[in-house]
This record gives sequence, C-alpha cells and structure tokens, in this order.
Amino acid sequence: MEIKETIDTKGLSCPMPMMKLAKAMKGLKPGEILEMFGTDPGTRADLPQWCEKKGNTLLEETEPEPGVFRFLIQKQ
Amino acid sequence: MKGSEKKSVFKDLYNIFFTKHWPVWTGAVLAGILNVLMFGIVSPWSGSAGYSSWGKNLYKVVNILGFDETPSLLGNKWALLSIMIVLGSFIGALLSKSFAVRIPPFGELIKGFIGGSLMGIGATVGIGCSIGGFFSGVPALSGGAIFLTFGLFLGTVVAVKYLFWEMEKFPKISTGKGFTYLAVSQDRGAWQKWMGLIVSILLFFIAYTYFQADEYVLGWFIIIGGLLGLISQRSIFCIVRAFREPFMSGDSTGAKGIIAGLLVVLFGFVVIKTMNIGAGETALRAREMSFVHSNFWLRGLLGGFVFGIGMTIAGGCAVGTLWRMGEGQVKLWFSALGFLLIAPISSKFITPWLTDILPFNMQYKNYLPDYLGYAGSVGLVLVILGIWYWFAVWNEKTGKFSQF
Repeated sequence: MEIKETIDTKGLSCPMPMMKLAKAMKGLKPGEILEMFGTDPGTRADLPQWCEKKGNTLLEETEPEPGVFRFLIQKQ
Repeated sequence: MKGSEKKSVFKDLYNIFFTKHWPVWTGAVLAGILNVLMFGIVSPWSGSAGYSSWGKNLYKVVNILGFDETPSLLGNKWALLSIMIVLGSFIGALLSKSFAVRIPPFGELIKGFIGGSLMGIGATVGIGCSIGGFFSGVPALSGGAIFLTFGLFLGTVVAVKYLFWEMEKFPKISTGKGFTYLAVSQDRGAWQKWMGLIVSILLFFIAYTYFQADEYVLGWFIIIGGLLGLISQRSIFCIVRAFREPFMSGDSTGAKGIIAGLLVVLFGFVVIKTMNIGAGETALRAREMSFVHSNFWLRGLLGGFVFGIGMTIAGGCAVGTLWRMGEGQVKLWFSALGFLLIAPISSKFITPWLTDILPFNMQYKNYLPDYLGYAGSVGLVLVILGIWYWFAVWNEKTGKFSQF
C-alpha cells in the first residue's frame, strides 16, 4: 500500500484538521492514499462521516501512540 | 444477579455513554431541557455572563479598571455554571479516556486569543452570545435575538472565507509542531476513568456544600453546569458547528441537532412565560421580558456579526470553548482568556460609546408577542428554523455553498 501524502494535524482542534484533510485530498488522484495524524477527538467522529459522504474510503484507523490517531484515506 | 453479570451490565452502560460520541441532536435536546429547567429555577442559560464575571474578578484581584465592587465568583451563578461546564466536560473526557493536554502550533494559540477577544466584544455589544443571545434569546421570543442570530450567521460566513484564505496564503499559521500530554490508549489508561469518578464525586460534594448553606439556586446551577459540560463533550454540542458546517463540509447534522434543541427550548420557554411558572415574587411582565434585551435591531446585528467572526476563528462558541477547555484543548484556553479579559473592557468602554451613537430605534427592547401575539411569534420562529433546516439539507445534497 503506497502512501502518497502525509499530513500532521497533531494539537489542532476543530475545524483545522478537517480543513487540512480536505485541502490535501484535493491534490490527490483517484485511488491514491493519504495518511493523516491527529489528536482531536472530534475528528474521529467527523472523518468517517465525511468520507462516507464524499465516497472516499477510510481504510484504517489506528492509535500508534496514546492519544494520537492515524487515518489512512483512499480517494474515490 | 451474579458478580460477572453485574459487571457486564455496568460495562454495557459505560459503552453506551462513553465509548462513542452521542448524536448532536441528543446533546442539543438534553441541553435544551436543562435550559428550560434553569429558566424554571430562575433564569435562562447565559454563556457570556460567566466569562464576564471571571474577567471582572481577575481585574478585581489585580485592582485595575475599577471592578472592585464585583461579586465573588463563588456567589455568581453564571461564573459557577461556566466553571462547572469545564469540570463536567473534564469528567466526560476522563470517563471516555479522551482527555489530553493538546497544544497546537503557536499561530493557533494567537487565533484562539483573538477569536475569544472578538467574542467578548460581540457578546457585550450585542447583549448576548451564542447561548444567551441565540440558544436562549430566540426561544425567549426576543426581537433583538433574531437580528443577533442573523449577525452570527453573517459573521460565520465571513470568518469561514477568512480561514480558507489564511490556509492558502499563510499556511504556516496553523502548521508546526503540536504537543500532547497525559493522553492514554483506548485499551489502557484506567487511571482516567478513576480520576473521572473522583472529580464527579468532588462536583457533587461542592454542590452539597451549597445546599447545606441554603444556596439552592447555586447548588442546582453547579449540578446543571456539570451535566451541561458532560453532555456537550460527549455530543460535540457547539453552536459554531451548526452555523459553519454548511459553508465548510456541507454537513447538516450540527444544524439539525441545534434546531431540535431550539424546539425543546421554545416549547419550554413559552409555557413558562405564558403561565408565569417559577416566578416567585416576579411580576408576569418581568418574567415575559426575561432575556429580551435592548439590542433591537442594529445593536444585535453588530454584536452577532462580531461574535460570529470570533467563534469561527476560535473554533468554539461560548459553550464550545468551555467544554473544549475541559477536554484539554489549549487553543480554547487562550480563547477563554481573550473572552474574559476583553468582555469587561468592552462593557466599560466600547458599549457606552456605542449606546451614545446608535439611535434609540436601533437598540430598544422588542418582545415579539407584543406585536404578533404568542401564536404569531412562535410561528415566526418556526418559519425561520424551517428555512434554516431546509437550507442545511438542500445545501448538503447540492453542495452549493460547501467548500469541501
């Protein structure tokens, strides 16, 4: 699985993580994968909803270190 | 019931409340019920009055700006309510093992402070914030609150445009190293759950001491504040999301949730106002005029506009700032600092100047039922909420105004 781009939103709160994610996704081609790190609990609720609405696929959500979430999102 | 079954029951209950976030509408409806209850006890919910009290008490301690007559925080229901919202959110974050001190890049801290300062100016100019001016003001059938709401809407639209502009032109403001402390993994970190339990007991003990001193209103406000904080943290209850998201992601769940909450508050407030419930010695007219301020029409509009810009830049409205503080979001600590430092200054220097220059017909009290009757006033509010609902749903489907 090749990761095309990585964004770090650690420490940022709503709405900055989702804004940065949306901007980064615009630069990807269909099928490409973005890796995102974040610490805002609200993002864990917002991101899956947003992916579902936009048709993007949330491939993976993990917690590589306490309180830090890693998301892998594939563009539609 | 065997011990293991009991454990399973509690585990199920814990999972329901603390594993996932609640739907926004659940939080908004519960917050609405508590708002009605507060009005039944003494007064509808105010957010900005708490920050103002914090700020005035701070200036009193350092003995500047002449706030030495300010009542103590411990005897002010709004100051106590706001503190308990922070504490209640802290409890919610701990019990769901999602508390952490989250420090964003420096530019975000500055934005938090500026956003909070603008909220302080907006709330004092408009005589109300996202809670007192909107979540309480609109159901209180205040004419000024309708204009304040429209101002919030306009301010949010302008600030959303600013945020996108900033991200394109000055991305470094929100870029840089962020720091996280005291976070725990979801499969570990039992200490946060225990700590949450201890802080809950502490909150009820504080309320108990007030009840023991016959301070029943303050005692109930402490408990209600704790519940509001917990509910808000678990449901991501934030007015700014309801106004902002149609112009960002297009998501309508925030707007729908807040509208559901407003319907509950509208129903409760109208019953209380028409029946004079919980009035005590207060005359019916005074009860009817609760949260109908002298902010019709330009004053409410201006205040709402400035507040709308502030809450969008800060990333949290009056209550969103409080509960995110309890969750450990340091940006919102700076937002609260800006709010509490600037609101007293604005009320002392900016609003008297504005009152002098604004004509009377732009700042008088306007109680909608005086002109439209109760049925007409409720109908007007329902039409406005209906238009908002329709817009949010239509925009979500078409993406006409959303940015991503």
